[in-house]
Amino acid sequence: MNFSKSFLKFLIIFILTLFFFNTSNSVEKNYYKDLITDWSRIFPDSNRNAAGPKFFKYIIDKDIDYEDFIEYNKLYCAVSGSLIDPNSDPDFLFISERGTKNKICGNYYKCCIPCSCDIMKYSEVERMKYKFKDGFKEFFVFTIKNPCTKKDFPDRVNKGYFCDGDKINNEQVYELDGRIVIGLFHDGKMCAKDEIDFVKSHQITGRFCELRNNTPIENLNAGMGDIFIKLAR
Amino acid sequence: MKIKINRYLKKILVLFFLLIPNNLNADFFEDITNQIVDNPKRLSYGVSVTDVNQDGNFDFVVTGFGYPNLALSYKDGKLINIVNQKKFTDKFRRTIGVAACDIDKDGYEEIYFLNTDTYSGTKKYSDRLIDLEKDEYVDLFEIEKNQRDLNLTAGRSVVCVDRKGDGNYGVYVANYGGPTRFYEYTDDIILDKSVQLNLAKITGGRAVVAGHIISDKVDVFAANERGANFLYKNDDGKFLDVANEYRVQDILQNGRGTALTDIYYRGRLDILNGNWGGFHRAYALKDNIFVDIAKPPFDEPSRIRTVISADLDNDGYDEVFLNNIGEPNKLFRILENGLIKQIPLDIGLEPDGYGTGAAVADIDNDGVLELLVSHGESIDQPLSMFKAKVNPKSNFLRIKPLNKYGAPARGATVTLISNLRKHSKTIDSGSGYLCQMEPVAHYGIRKKENNIKIEIKWTNGKTKIVSVKKLNQTITLKQK
Repeated sequence: MNFSKSFLKFLIIFILTLFFFNTSNSVEKNYYKDLITDWSRIFPDSNRNAAGPKFFKYIIDKDIDYEDFIEYNKLYCAVSGSLIDPNSDPDFLFISERGTKNKICGNYYKCCIPCSCDIMKYSEVERMKYKFKDGFKEFFVFTIKNPCTKKDFPDRVNKGYFCDGDKINNEQVYELDGRIVIGLFHDGKMCAKDEIDFVKSHQITGRFCELRNNTPIENLNAGMGDIFIKLAR
Repeated sequence: MKIKINRYLKKILVLFFLLIPNNLNADFFEDITNQIVDNPKRLSYGVSVTDVNQDGNFDFVVTGFGYPNLALSYKDGKLINIVNQKKFTDKFRRTIGVAACDIDKDGYEEIYFLNTDTYSGTKKYSDRLIDLEKDEYVDLFEIEKNQRDLNLTAGRSVVCVDRKGDGNYGVYVANYGGPTRFYEYTDDIILDKSVQLNLAKITGGRAVVAGHIISDKVDVFAANERGANFLYKNDDGKFLDVANEYRVQDILQNGRGTALTDIYYRGRLDILNGNWGGFHRAYALKDNIFVDIAKPPFDEPSRIRTVISADLDNDGYDEVFLNNIGEPNKLFRILENGLIKQIPLDIGLEPDGYGTGAAVADIDNDGVLELLVSHGESIDQPLSMFKAKVNPKSNFLRIKPLNKYGAPARGATVTLISNLRKHSKTIDSGSGYLCQMEPVAHYGIRKKENNIKIEIKWTNGKTKIVSVKKLNQTITLKQK
């Protein structure tokens, strides 16, 4: 008899759970849709070449909590400025920390393979603290040096997005210690030895990147990444 | 013990009946396809609603891609094709877009057939502009004086625009891989005025709507593919693209079907836009910016073609029909506060349907809209027709505005004002995708709704309010 009672209770709870589950699905956030919708606002001239920093600035200026910040930052490529399909897998890699030269390991969401190599070679990571809706958080960001004084500033990049004369344009991009933040380094932390070995032996972050990063710039032919290199070198 | 178990079982049954009916709704539609006489498999595209034979009743015009264009007229409970003249049927020119309006100000609508024999760029055959003259359908573009500016670019949708609000309709032609065209009758000649009016942009033109969107004159919204959408604000009869300012460029999405609707029942027209394999939009104007308020499941990507907003079941709330190609159709209802709720479909779902166009009209004059759906593109399929199962106690009101020439005032806005809502509808100039709805504002009446008045805003921006004393009728409003 106790069994029947328990079974009936279970059945009622099950039906109610199903009902509420179905009705609550519809309010799920769609970060990708938000970026698609606001793309014209982020890039008014439709030029998103190497404009990962524009995405980062747009996202951090939103009135959001830390979890939203993380999710939005998975959806663009910090190197190319291209959107990334939702649920894409990141590359696990390490980047040198500015100042300490420590190797910081973490996840990088990229649009294509060469971007992982470019970000490893031409960016540094820095710790950043920021107050979100749910409080202060600390995380690692990719940064590049101020490109605004470059005489050979790449003509396929909208200089106005990054620069106000020789200075970084703080209205358009996020500046940290005199450098431009180009994206979020997800799950960043000091590398363990086996993690460094993993990155170095990985077929992309190891062998492929070694090949790409030893190719003279004039011989590179990998599209968006090459534009980024000209901006960040 | 048995009693206790019975009690539990009763509780479960009560819960079952409370919770489950959401998923077991009776069919929204009934299938009335059998009313179409002679309905073979064919490749059809756009559908328009106009009075083809000038008998005072609206007919469905269905385009054919390598098949004849049809004029389906309602007689004795059946839809019958009433035109077999070659200029109209035009089997070889491959028609896809269609819209009707009174170009020559004689009080009767001409029919613009957009032909496309190539996907993009230069095409072989021009479009047709069909006029009925003494029982004969003639193509105004075949008259020598009108051949200066023929459209020889592949296109998709067409929409009628009374840009100056004086009853002189022009036709906006959304071309693909070539400049947009705008044809207008001036000094007895049909000319393309797109350059003078700032409309001659090159894009992948797909869908287009026109009406009181952001100004008191007729504005145009064009949903494009592989490029930004256009939102043309009427600037004293010329046009200014303000899509960026109003945030409807949607540059990463590929526009398909679009329609104007009053999302908040607040007395203004907003924009619904279906994107091919992308997020469908419900753009509501807030502080001079269109905000996309669409949420799942409405915004979920699909192989969208035509989008229709109309009160199909006479309950006083508009439905939104999303016609997909090679994918089940979807139906939603716009409730209060911008909530767009899905209505389960069985009949009308057409999971194997290759929908290419659709239009609504009260073709049998019974106060309930019929929905005609065309199919084709890659699979030849017959037409289908549906009608909502309506509460027999429901009431309706139909408003049919005619301009000063006696022609349907396409582009005018009708607003029903009552104790429960302020509900605007456009007199359709062209919408959906390749299509055009009947030039009537059709309202179902809500429960406990009273003090009903009608406001008409003509294409020149002037308004007039008319009180309504009797329901279940079509009120014809004539512009003075």
